[in-house]
Amino acid sequence: MGKQVDILQGTLDMLILKAVSLGPLHGYGILLRIQQISKDALQIPQGSLYPALYRLEHRGWIAAEWGESENKRKAKYYSLTAAGRKQLKSERQEWKRLAGAIADVLAAEPEEV
Amino acid sequence: MLAQVRSWWRALTGQARLSGEMASEMDGHMERYAADLIARGVEPGEARRRARIEFGSTAAASEECREAVGLRWPNEFARDLRYAARVLRKSPTFTAAAVATLALCIGANTAIFSVVDAVLLRPLPYPHPDRLAWVARHYHDQRSEGEGLAENGRIWEAVRDNAGYLDAAVFSDGSMGVNFAAGGRVEYVKQQRVASGFFRVLGIAPLIGREFSADDDREGGPAVTVLSHALWKRIFREDPSIVGQAITLRGEPYTVVGVLPANFQSSTPADLWTPLRPSQNGEGGGWNYVVAGRLRPGVTWAQADTQIEALGAPIFHENGRQTSVRLHLISFQRGLTDDLHRPLLILWAAVGVVLLIGCVNIAGLLLARAAGRTRELATRMALGGGRAALVRQLLAESVLLGLCGGAAGVILGWLGVKALKLLAHDSLNVWQAVELNWRVLAATGCASIAAGILFGLYPALVASRLEIRAALGEAGRGVAGGRNPWPRRLLVASEVALGVVLLVGAGLLIRTFAHLRGLNPGFDAHNVIAAQLSLQDARYATSQRVNRLFDESLARIRELPGVESAAVTLSLPYERALNDGFQRLDGRHVDTEPQITNMFYVSPEFFRVLRIPLLRGRVFSTADSSTAASALVVSESFVRMYLRDDDPLGRHLDLGGGDKREIVGVVGDIQQKSGWGDGSPSSVMPDIYIPSTQVEDKFMQLVHIWFSPSWIVRTTGPAEGVIAGMQRALESVDSRLPFAGFHSMEDVRYRALAQERFQAVLLGALAGLALLLAAVGIYGLIANSVAERTRELGIRLALGASLAQAMRSVALPGVALALAGVVAGSVLAGFAAQLLRHLVWGVRPGDPLTFVAVGLGLLGVATAASFLPALRITRLNPAETLRQE
Repeated sequence: MGKQVDILQGTLDMLILKAVSLGPLHGYGILLRIQQISKDALQIPQGSLYPALYRLEHRGWIAAEWGESENKRKAKYYSLTAAGRKQLKSERQEWKRLAGAIADVLAAEPEEV
Repeated sequence: MLAQVRSWWRALTGQARLSGEMASEMDGHMERYAADLIARGVEPGEARRRARIEFGSTAAASEECREAVGLRWPNEFARDLRYAARVLRKSPTFTAAAVATLALCIGANTAIFSVVDAVLLRPLPYPHPDRLAWVARHYHDQRSEGEGLAENGRIWEAVRDNAGYLDAAVFSDGSMGVNFAAGGRVEYVKQQRVASGFFRVLGIAPLIGREFSADDDREGGPAVTVLSHALWKRIFREDPSIVGQAITLRGEPYTVVGVLPANFQSSTPADLWTPLRPSQNGEGGGWNYVVAGRLRPGVTWAQADTQIEALGAPIFHENGRQTSVRLHLISFQRGLTDDLHRPLLILWAAVGVVLLIGCVNIAGLLLARAAGRTRELATRMALGGGRAALVRQLLAESVLLGLCGGAAGVILGWLGVKALKLLAHDSLNVWQAVELNWRVLAATGCASIAAGILFGLYPALVASRLEIRAALGEAGRGVAGGRNPWPRRLLVASEVALGVVLLVGAGLLIRTFAHLRGLNPGFDAHNVIAAQLSLQDARYATSQRVNRLFDESLARIRELPGVESAAVTLSLPYERALNDGFQRLDGRHVDTEPQITNMFYVSPEFFRVLRIPLLRGRVFSTADSSTAASALVVSESFVRMYLRDDDPLGRHLDLGGGDKREIVGVVGDIQQKSGWGDGSPSSVMPDIYIPSTQVEDKFMQLVHIWFSPSWIVRTTGPAEGVIAGMQRALESVDSRLPFAGFHSMEDVRYRALAQERFQAVLLGALAGLALLLAAVGIYGLIANSVAERTRELGIRLALGASLAQAMRSVALPGVALALAGVVAGSVLAGFAAQLLRHLVWGVRPGDPLTFVAVGLGLLGVATAASFLPALRITRLNPAETLRQE
């Protein structure tokens, strides 16, 4: 297990959108998927996951539906909506732009300035 | 956005379901985590414990989720309201005072708004009423500005032929009583005359039959009529076969061509309609028509208005004298309610000011209350309640007060509407029903909430500006009142100022009413009965026939016991008289153009019945017959206006038609409603009287279209027996002529000033309410300061100050504030009074007497309200006061 990183303010939404874009998931599943994809590098505080889910659902970016989980229990499954797909795309572009800019700044050599 | 609103609404309405879902979702999460931990070899009990700890507080997470879907405000609001209700219940005296004040103010607003709504705001009951226009003449010169609502035949023809943007129709506004006979019944019914297309323009199709065609509506066209649903039901029992049948109207057979639907209302109350047959001559030569129209599809108001103005321009230009007049369009509703527009807006403003004063009063109470709650509020803030939360809580209290006051106000408003209907019975020509409908209730609800915020916000902001430590440390009994007294003082002063504005307005209207009421009527109304009947009747087409009716009926009426004298007149005092043209033919001034004056035809005893004094010459006698020399009698003000430099007796006038008439007498003036000139509801006008025997046939027919002559009878005692006798007397002369109804001349006089009485009473009541509220405000302020300063006053008295000194020190600030309020209010009232300048008569808007009386009166009340609570000091026992502390 590598070193854990705290999630930047505002990136949690993007990560959730990405996680559910791969297929409908319940809350715990989202947590697992993010951890799994990031190879446990990203640790999401469990209590803050649900407010984020409700906020995204309220904005219409994800939709929720009650279904049956793997262990025959009822669970609320979240999936990406069309609006959410658009939002994810724009957030990803924004993130790339930001990350690129930061990388440029960090890569700057003394003679370039 | 829409999705958010939907999600928020779902959350708001299904809070219990939402909580359940969140709980089960989070429990499921923890169970799955625990199961994973167990799979990794953690002991089950420990796994569940760790799952719960790592998840954190589910309550906090749930709360955050609720916030995320926008439930924070509603939840907090509900909590604030619950707390507010508890707080208000704990101080019943304050709550009762505030709710009572609000109930009075909001009740008054509800009642007045229901009238404003019925008359000015509620759309007319026609399809697309916003497309209905009224062609008006806008005049504007140095002396006045306003709307002429009537048009003549020439303007109608110009509009008909050239206003392509308007589907126009012409009609006569106001209905005339006519004689109706059908199915063995004779009745006096209201007839309105309208041109073809009138009903089409309004958008109303007849229930059965048709409306008037162009062929019906020309000179010499068939005699046809359209019936109202009510008349059809009353007389014909809703028999549809009436269409095509004849009834007798105005003594002639008329064919019924249609019946209108039950809910139809015309521009004036009417039982049936007949074709107008507009022309440029006869009545079309004067301002006797109303031209209205519906904008054609796709046409804007601006386009239609420009077209109307353009087609009017050559007409007024040619006239030369009236260059300040132009034609334009106003909304049909505005045209219908023009006479009530201004008085109602003024009343509405006044009742709004009363509400404002009420709010100021309650704001003062809240400020005083906040002083007593300092420790409670400071404690809440010390325990971490933010200032915003505190303000919100205090606002919730005032909004709750507003809603309670509003609810009580609706009940008072309902009573108020009933009272208004009684008072306005015949003064407000209220066109649609005055009622408490959902529109009025919605307005009241908004007013209540707005009032709650209005009076609550300022005290809440002041109260929340607390020094927590000082407030908690203070034992709650400062010396000379540690708090800043100015906010409350300012409120009280502004209350007084607003009160001055209302009192001055009411004073001016009351003075107007007193002036009009006090005018010399010019006749003796006591023991005179008047009864109208319609002579717009084919059987009374000649002057000779009409005069035979007068002679025979009056002769029989004079024989009745209790009758002293009897006469007939074209119109009564206090009514609008016939306006007619005349030219002076000899004397110092000779006219080349006709002048306008009021004209009456009368039977000889007219002056005796009304006891109008004869000043010079003679009045008419039976000798003034149709064959005798043409005679006329003029009024004193006619002489003053037109014959000032001449001996009036023996001068000759031409009343049109080239007939030379000699002035044989001068009589005193009588009060009339001026149809021209200054527009005063009651004033003396220059009058010409001619003997009814000397009226030509054509003129007689014409004036009987507009006027129903009145039989007037002077009795020696009670009228009851005489009324029945008059009916019998008329019946024995002509069994098909019904009297419209009987009134005493005192009634006629009373009704003449109904609108002025209504305005004076209403504004007077509102001003009284304002005065009461201002007095209560001052009283509360002083009483509060006495209570706050009990200890200080006790010390002063113990140190030898006199009672008078102590009382003065407490009460004088109240008087000083009132004085400041009176000065500020007088300036405001000076502006506000200008709004009343069209409603005041016999008194100027800047009437010094009114201003001084209001100022002194208010100061007197303020002094009483200040010293009354200060009297409590006299019961103060210094020793006891000091021991208590």
